[in-house]
Amino acid sequence: MKSKKLIGDVKAVPFLLPFFVVYAWFTVYPMLKGLQMSLYQWTLIRQMDYIGFANYSAMFKDRQFWEALWNTTLFVLLSTPGMVVLALVLALFANMRTRFRTFLRSSFFLPSILSVSVISFLAIFMLQPYTGFVNSLLHLMGSKAEPFWLADRNLAWVSIIGVTLWWTVGFNMILYLASLQEIPDYLYEAGTIDGATDGQLFWNVTLPLLAPITRVILLLQIIASYKVFSQIWLITRGGPGTKTRPIIQYIYETGFKNNDLGYAATMSYALFVILLVLSFIQLKLRPKEEV
Amino acid sequence: MKKGLSLLLSLILVISLLAACTSGTKTAEGDNKPPSSNEKVELVFWSLFSGGDGDFMQQMIDSFNKENPNIQIKNVKLEWGEYYTKLITGVSSGNGPDIGVSHTSKLPELIKQGVVSELDPIVKVTNQDWSTFNQNILSATMLNGKHYAIPIDTHPFVFFYNKTMLKQAGLLDDKGKPIMTQSAQGFVDFAVKLKSSLQSNQMAFAFPSKGDDPYRLWWALYHQLGGKDVIADDLKTPSIDMAKAVQAADYIKDLYHKQQVIPLNLENFTKSFQAGNAGFFMSGVWNTGTMEQTNGLEFGVMPIPKFFDKQATWGDSHTLILPIQKKPDQNRQKAALAFMNYIADHGHVWAKAGHIPAKAKIVDDAEFKKLPYRSDYVSVADTVAFNKPSAYNWALKTVIIRNLDTIWNNSVPTEDAFKKMLEEMKVVIK
Repeated sequence: MKSKKLIGDVKAVPFLLPFFVVYAWFTVYPMLKGLQMSLYQWTLIRQMDYIGFANYSAMFKDRQFWEALWNTTLFVLLSTPGMVVLALVLALFANMRTRFRTFLRSSFFLPSILSVSVISFLAIFMLQPYTGFVNSLLHLMGSKAEPFWLADRNLAWVSIIGVTLWWTVGFNMILYLASLQEIPDYLYEAGTIDGATDGQLFWNVTLPLLAPITRVILLLQIIASYKVFSQIWLITRGGPGTKTRPIIQYIYETGFKNNDLGYAATMSYALFVILLVLSFIQLKLRPKEEV
Repeated sequence: MKKGLSLLLSLILVISLLAACTSGTKTAEGDNKPPSSNEKVELVFWSLFSGGDGDFMQQMIDSFNKENPNIQIKNVKLEWGEYYTKLITGVSSGNGPDIGVSHTSKLPELIKQGVVSELDPIVKVTNQDWSTFNQNILSATMLNGKHYAIPIDTHPFVFFYNKTMLKQAGLLDDKGKPIMTQSAQGFVDFAVKLKSSLQSNQMAFAFPSKGDDPYRLWWALYHQLGGKDVIADDLKTPSIDMAKAVQAADYIKDLYHKQQVIPLNLENFTKSFQAGNAGFFMSGVWNTGTMEQTNGLEFGVMPIPKFFDKQATWGDSHTLILPIQKKPDQNRQKAALAFMNYIADHGHVWAKAGHIPAKAKIVDDAEFKKLPYRSDYVSVADTVAFNKPSAYNWALKTVIIRNLDTIWNNSVPTEDAFKKMLEEMKVVIK
């Protein structure tokens, strides 16, 4: 019996091997290499000097690192609530039994299929001063204001968060929608027979049953938002100054523009540890029966 | 039996996959086999030119290929933002091109990285005549008395003006030149007077509020005041003449916020000028080609005004380089050098894109003089304040631009911005 299992295991090896080789070569090896790099002064063409933990101690003293890390955290804090609440609201709309159901669903999800460069250039086009769509609309409505959506620190954040919401909220909405449709109708029927109002049904039936998917969305969202880079890079380049520069952009600039891959690897590991801790906390907070 | 077969098949699959990987590298090596001397040489050229620049470069390459059947150049146009990263990684992995482009300001970094071959050993064989180059441009491409690149141009920061609008404001003289006193106050008076004559959709000075061009203007003014680069002569200690840097920056900041002759946060300033909505703008000479092709635009080009003590402007040069090869082959390098000199010698074609040719004799050439506008700014080549040959030029430039941007948008006081800049420079150079 035992030997049969062993044969089965051995037979599995050649099927697993192709994936494992690729995985080890392109994921595990670079990860370990990154750890090694973080201990070196390491340039793009591999001029290497071992410097121990100097990169790490430099990182803790680097104000630009902390600023960039804070910017990313700020993005997470500002975007996540909207990402969850708005997705739920849209999902509720899309779940209503109206004639516009298909229209609503596709229009909510449509931006998600566009690539990041498309939405970024649309955003720049809409938000640019003097001739942009938003400011022209303001002028049309009689306003004399000329807000600089991308050049003012606070407005730049508003713009980036707004664009990100518009672009990616559709995906979370689909997750909610699928979950909504899994709630059995008899729960609502029973509630209605007991005389519950629509509001009570929502708070006491819908919301509790959406709790598991909300936790999933929250976890995915926070990890994804911590990796924010492309839309900010394309819309503001981290500007004005460095006021919207996320940590990934700083890592990219350090590695590839300033030719300091060692320090870039160090900061990547810092981000890795942060994400690891966050995921761990979320797993611990999850009720036992769901795991 | 059947199970044994599936096991065998999957093993074959794995092995053939691995084999495919190894044989792939083998054929790549075979391609790099050096050709013998009378064989046709095919050289790969990586360039970063786009738009008008790209077209004129391609034109020169095509005519070179036609005139030299034994040397064929393959032009690979790379995206300018990623060009240097690709060049450095390409060379370090042994897949670099035969010929590359470098800005003069970037050259020391590439040399330090071990990307650029020294030219002198090859030049000895081919009797290169260095005296035909503009010496201000040439000396900026040399390091420790050695030649590393063939400069093909310089592209300084100049002043473009709309003749129609200046004429309406009474600011254009009979020769079609702006009426402006060459001083800091004179320029402000000029811009303010122009602004007062404009309609509501027009602007005096089309200029961005961030990025390279305000940095170039600051660089020019800082040098006009007597500043000398932002790095000490040891090429690794950040050194800013604070009083001059602040004075230059404050002067520019006032143009945005006090005299308000520049609209804030313009998205596309050259387009505003092209559309005839701006009195003037300042930027690199490469804009000349584009403006020339704009219908109905009557414009002029001249050196930027002398705001302060001495004439100086920002500028850089394109140079052609021989990236280091794993197995250098003198025949290929000689062929590459022939191409590089051909490009330098055909500066009158390159000048059509707006650049000032690096060869002194082309500038005196009748064909070059026939080109309008260029002769108005050709003298600028001698007043360009080039970067010192430091390996940190580009990294420092990024830091400077980022901090200058916070001055222009009035979010950080000028002195504080420069202090922060200096601190960040020390992080970059370590």
